Amino acid sequence: MKTRRWMMTSVMLALAATASGIAQANATVGQAAPAFSITDSQGKTVSLADFKGKHVVLEWVNPGCPFVKKHYDSGNMPGTQKSATGQGVVWLAVSSTAKSAGDYKPPAELEAWMKSKQSAHSATLMDDDGKLGKAYGARTTPHLYLIDPAGKLIYAGAIDSKPTANPADIKTAVNYVNQAVGEALSGKPVSQPASTPYGCSIKYAS
Amino acid sequence: MSSFRFLLCRLALLSLSLLPGLALAQGAVVTTEQVRAELVAQAPEGVEAGKPLWLGLLIKHQPHWHTYWKNPGDSGLPTMLSWELPAGVSAGEIQWPVPQRLPVGPLVNYGYESDLLLAVPLTVGPEFKGETLNIKLRADWLVCKEVCIPESGEFSLKLPAQAATAGHAALFEAARAALPQELAGAKVEAKLQGEGLRLLIDGLPAAWQGKTLQAFPEEAGVFNHASAPQQQWAGAQLQLTLPVSAQRSEGPTRLAVVLRQDDAPGGLRLSYQTAAWPALGEVAAPALQPVEPEAAAAAPTSILLALLLAFAGGLLLNLMPCVFPVLSLKVLGFTAHAGERRVLVAGGLAYTAGVVLSFLALAGLLLVLRAGGAQLGWGFQLQSPLFVAGLALLFGLIGLNLLGVFEIRMVLPGNLAGARAANPVLDHGLTGVLAVAVASPCTAPFMGVALGAALTQPAPLALAIFAALGLGMASPYLAASLWPGLARALPRPGVWMRHFKILMAFPMFATVLWLMWVLGQQVGIDGAVALLGLLLALALAAWVFGATDLKARGRTVLGALSLAILAGTAWWAWPALREAPAAAAQADGASASETWQAWSADKVAQAQAEGRTVLVDFTAAWCVTCQFNKRGTLADAQLVADMRAKNVLLLRADWTRRDAAISQTLNSLGRSGVPVYAVYKPGQAAPQLLPEILSVALVRDALSL
Repeated sequence: MKTRRWMMTSVMLALAATASGIAQANATVGQAAPAFSITDSQGKTVSLADFKGKHVVLEWVNPGCPFVKKHYDSGNMPGTQKSATGQGVVWLAVSSTAKSAGDYKPPAELEAWMKSKQSAHSATLMDDDGKLGKAYGARTTPHLYLIDPAGKLIYAGAIDSKPTANPADIKTAVNYVNQAVGEALSGKPVSQPASTPYGCSIKYAS
Repeated sequence: MSSFRFLLCRLALLSLSLLPGLALAQGAVVTTEQVRAELVAQAPEGVEAGKPLWLGLLIKHQPHWHTYWKNPGDSGLPTMLSWELPAGVSAGEIQWPVPQRLPVGPLVNYGYESDLLLAVPLTVGPEFKGETLNIKLRADWLVCKEVCIPESGEFSLKLPAQAATAGHAALFEAARAALPQELAGAKVEAKLQGEGLRLLIDGLPAAWQGKTLQAFPEEAGVFNHASAPQQQWAGAQLQLTLPVSAQRSEGPTRLAVVLRQDDAPGGLRLSYQTAAWPALGEVAAPALQPVEPEAAAAAPTSILLALLLAFAGGLLLNLMPCVFPVLSLKVLGFTAHAGERRVLVAGGLAYTAGVVLSFLALAGLLLVLRAGGAQLGWGFQLQSPLFVAGLALLFGLIGLNLLGVFEIRMVLPGNLAGARAANPVLDHGLTGVLAVAVASPCTAPFMGVALGAALTQPAPLALAIFAALGLGMASPYLAASLWPGLARALPRPGVWMRHFKILMAFPMFATVLWLMWVLGQQVGIDGAVALLGLLLALALAAWVFGATDLKARGRTVLGALSLAILAGTAWWAWPALREAPAAAAQADGASASETWQAWSADKVAQAQAEGRTVLVDFTAAWCVTCQFNKRGTLADAQLVADMRAKNVLLLRADWTRRDAAISQTLNSLGRSGVPVYAVYKPGQAAPQLLPEILSVALVRDALSL
């Protein structure tokens, strides 16, 4: 009797273990990142579940935003992307800008803009209705998230420690994304798991 | 020509403002397309040690443009001032006026529109000597409407040391009136509760009592600004709950909140202290620990296990009370065709296909909903009163059919009935679909776990798990059809079948009864009566269209009449069947209240902190297994008495109706359906989950009674 109960429990625990990474309404650092399945700029469906076993970065982007320009024109964002994807991290750029917003860019244009900045992202997710953005609580462009191979959210916040629009500040700022990716890949806990994002408000469809 | 110059001008301005470059300083005023900024001063007694001296940046916004408070809210940046002052003179902090809430779609910012003076006090030391005070300021501000433009300006000002500078006295006076005042004698008690920081505030002005206040937390990285703080007055005490951000980046123990009543200028500033914040990820729901990540390494082996368990779960589904009546129908089908091997095999395969495809369709639906981020789980369809009513009507019809009130072939158009008769394989397939529709409320043992796992897996694996469930459910029939010996062992057809068929109507009606009870829990007695009315009208129509002994004319007249009655009843019943607001009754509220309390994550956390063991029963009125356990094991008098003696806190989470908090908790436990029985022990973060079917011994063991 006792053994049977033990077996039952361990079977359930083993099953429950596969169950980490369930959709939640609000992304919480230290908990499972919300699952998603969404169309990218090429029209392909991209799901978070496709990347199980890999680190995934989500970056909210809007080329019309001066803060996004700061990090792209200076090469800081492309550099961060290159460094991450070079180490096997999946980098997903997300546009949650509503189609009705003045600075909405259709998929091909957005992709062309990113390419022109030597962006090294893996895919661009078109979140025109804002569901993905809202599930993650994304507020600004840029706003960055890091998800570990088990699907847990391990970083949420700003690209770096200097919330300004001045490109000169990049040199002296701590790049939180580089730091989090580096620590996560070497098996260490992320020392700064959250920061306050800065930039332009995401123009969500209302 | 002139338009070309205008264009050049616009371009120049645009590049100035977009490239976060400096707007050129013209002394004390900087003008951009969005703001006019001016450095102003007030020194009514001249520049001298110990005399009052104020500087201020006056920002006049173009309509609908705004700049930000010290906590800008969900986005934005506070205005920054950096001063260059002679030796002996130092500038203090910006005196921020009480801001306004500035909603941007679903986000909320705190800031200012129209005219704003950011005043800064200056301290002049005895070392300051000179005829004039030379001031230089570089200011950086972010100005936004739909778009955001980072701007900055350099300002310079010379103040005479001897003469008074008081030209802007009224401006500074108004700015002082707009500042939040520290409230002497106010008492704030702060406590972290669930997803918010709850403040109990005493000592607010009597005139504010009962009023809705605006609240602005000063800390940028702690709260969720988009959702408005909840407030409630209890006499003179205000209870204010500030929602904590799931992505909190700071955990200060000294905090402050600014309160404002209506749009009156100024407001009150209350500072308070909190205990240390829990680590990130624990704030949103203290009792919810995610499943241990290191165990995820075992995933590949447990995939196979999940498939096996799903198969076993499907097999067990056949024994569930809500599937059994439909399967009895299948038994009738078998006996009719016993001996015709090909018919049996084709039927068994079609039934299997029907079952598996239905499960796959359900899985597909779940995956689509999951992708949408919906907080749904297995059995969710039974949280919709309309779905419950529809199911009750379907069962009512099946029951009437079994009683012989009408025959399917009389109701169906001739050609369709012919197709059914000519195409028994299709018929078997449809029975399979029906069986699945009926089985959905019964979460058999293991099924909850398998589904929980399925919901978290990549789509192909999730589909495979559902397919395994379907195969498990169909397997006994497939086996019987493939192995005629089994089918031959079934009773021979005979008169008993007619009796048996009628007998089978009663479980159908019993199911209607049960669904009626579920509906009653959801929408109350009015909804239940509405459904009874609909059933009555439907029964009448079924008889009119199905009775074999009515003349054609009579059928036309009565048919039209019965359809009119049915339509009228549906029109009458509709509002009562819609989901009622939260007022719905708790299942077994009165009788259970003493022993079982309503669940909340807070209660679990609190009890754990007090060193109490907690047993949570995640249940729903429409879950048969839940009711079985509730009335059996969990109602065992001796067990209840022992649990009470051991001071075990018994909580019941009722999922009969949609409840986001319960859905989220189930998700974090790796489950997507009920029943779930969780034992939280003091000092253990993760709860122990008990099997879906409880026994007294098992509960005793888990609670160490």
